[in-house]
Amino acid sequence: MGRILGDIFSFGDRPVSERIGFIVFILIILAFPWTVKLAYARAVMIKFLLFALFGLGWNLIGGYGGQVDLGQAKNVGFGAYATALMMFHWKIPFWLTVVPGMIFATAESFAVAYPMFRLRGHYFAIATLCVALVWKELFVFWDWTGGARGVEIPIKSTPNFAYMQFGAVGYHYFIFGLFMAQFLFMNWFRKSKLGYELQAVRDNEDAAASLGINVTATKVKTYCITAALGALGGSFITVYYLYIDPDLVMPLDLSILIAMTVMVGGAGSIWGPIIGAAILIPLDMYLGAWLAGGGRYGIDFMIYALIIMIIAAREPKGIWGIVERIKKSR
Amino acid sequence: MLLPFVIITDLRKMELAIELILFGILMGLIFAFISLGLALIFGVMNIVNFAHGEFLMVGMYVGLLTSTYLRLDPFLSLPIAAAMGFLLGIASYRLLIKDILRGPMVAQLFGTFGLMLFLRYLAMFIFGPDIRTVSSGILVGKSVSLGWVALDLSKVVAAGLCLGLFVVVYWIINRTKLGRALRATSLDAEAARYMGIDTEKMNALAWGIGGATVGIAGGLLAHFYYITPTVGMVFILIAFATVALGGFGSISGTFIAGLIIGLIQVIGGQYLSELKFTFIYLTYFLTVVFRPRGLFGW
Repeated sequence: MGRILGDIFSFGDRPVSERIGFIVFILIILAFPWTVKLAYARAVMIKFLLFALFGLGWNLIGGYGGQVDLGQAKNVGFGAYATALMMFHWKIPFWLTVVPGMIFATAESFAVAYPMFRLRGHYFAIATLCVALVWKELFVFWDWTGGARGVEIPIKSTPNFAYMQFGAVGYHYFIFGLFMAQFLFMNWFRKSKLGYELQAVRDNEDAAASLGINVTATKVKTYCITAALGALGGSFITVYYLYIDPDLVMPLDLSILIAMTVMVGGAGSIWGPIIGAAILIPLDMYLGAWLAGGGRYGIDFMIYALIIMIIAAREPKGIWGIVERIKKSR
Repeated sequence: MLLPFVIITDLRKMELAIELILFGILMGLIFAFISLGLALIFGVMNIVNFAHGEFLMVGMYVGLLTSTYLRLDPFLSLPIAAAMGFLLGIASYRLLIKDILRGPMVAQLFGTFGLMLFLRYLAMFIFGPDIRTVSSGILVGKSVSLGWVALDLSKVVAAGLCLGLFVVVYWIINRTKLGRALRATSLDAEAARYMGIDTEKMNALAWGIGGATVGIAGGLLAHFYYITPTVGMVFILIAFATVALGGFGSISGTFIAGLIIGLIQVIGGQYLSELKFTFIYLTYFLTVVFRPRGLFGW
């Protein structure tokens, strides 16, 4: 027990500069709502934390596992819909809806994982994409889930902690809490037995198998954990927006954006998803809003696309890869 | 008493079945044609082009723009669409693909993925998100009737052209010196280089030919399908399913698989129109899981 706790909170393997940097980052986030009063900036901050959370989850399968999963949006959708439907149909408080959503996402991922992991590379990526799109079509088709119209959560007149409805500052600390919990989980995971096995599988499957690692079981376990983490973020989306539909919580663009934040920041590193989200989300929200105001759509995604192409062609390890290389060369 | 009714309903069912099969074959030929370039590029250099649907979208916009601004018949825009597709293919290879081929698998995936997003949102930036259609042209809105079945003339012409171009591409790959060089590059690039084949040029050419075929397909599709910057997504998944079913890289396999996918989509769409793409995604999934080589792959 003590060892697990130690692994969760210990950053002993990271250099002092990184540890100081992370503490500064935490302090900035904590002080943010007290210093910035602009509603839009607060919304940007919450979305950044949300995508950093998504990125941390996806980094498991995509970064540490090296499996390009382009279907994370389906898990976000499961979480969001579990919360929304249970609140809407049965008035169940938020806190009791999170775990069922995570369980559903895990179970679904477990069910498709075994056939899926017979595939590698492109075949796997396209298969994840197909499964996610099938689920989206089913949710559009199905009446009980609100179909294409989506689900609207009844708004409470006063701040309510059972249904998690309160102002922007509350959501800021709420998502930050979820983010920190997941970050600490990741910090434990990367040093756990499964974490090391996973990285061995990523680097060389045959060598990992010859060391007695069950390659498929390792991938399947990771895939299921990733799914559960995605569903957690989805539940937050429901109470934050108080409205969901398949185009909001399950679109392909969401899967892509999650994967891209990790790729841009640096897949397979603990800081990568945070760096990626810190670059892409403000870019999207400020540039996108500014240009859409002038009637121009899409330039934010064009810049994303350029960044991702340059990174794929020049620096597949992302921005964190550049940082590490500079450090080594000094 | 009931007998005449039974016969009538059976006749109706027969008619419907024949109609569906004809529609399915037409759509299938078009799907096969859209997928041809993807199969070609995969066959030569073992890379999946996520931007393939966006190449198609470019071809569609070429058809739209030549008919609206140059007042040319969209049918005459096909050579322009082919040229645009060819240049786009070559440019993509020279500027991006050459570099990402050296990187790991993940980089290859995200590289063509980035290209896809770039082209899609470039179109969004230039043309806006509106849905457009080609409204005039010698083929638009006309139909040919075969007894009780009325078939869209533009679809029939597209299917016919598809057959012809398939034969041309098959002939280039299997009967010409250029095709032999392409196949040599795909089997063993290093050995091909020792034989004096310029493999860089062959790769670029595969992208060029792939782009040109899908450009023509886009020009034809513009006649009867709505045009938006995001239209590529629908067809890229159909193309993936087709190419996977046919066996990645097999030209004749792509042709047969296109017909099968066309029939699946049309017949599935008849009974559950909201889920017609689900059938295609499931076809892909089941194919790669249970028969990864596809029907004719090696």
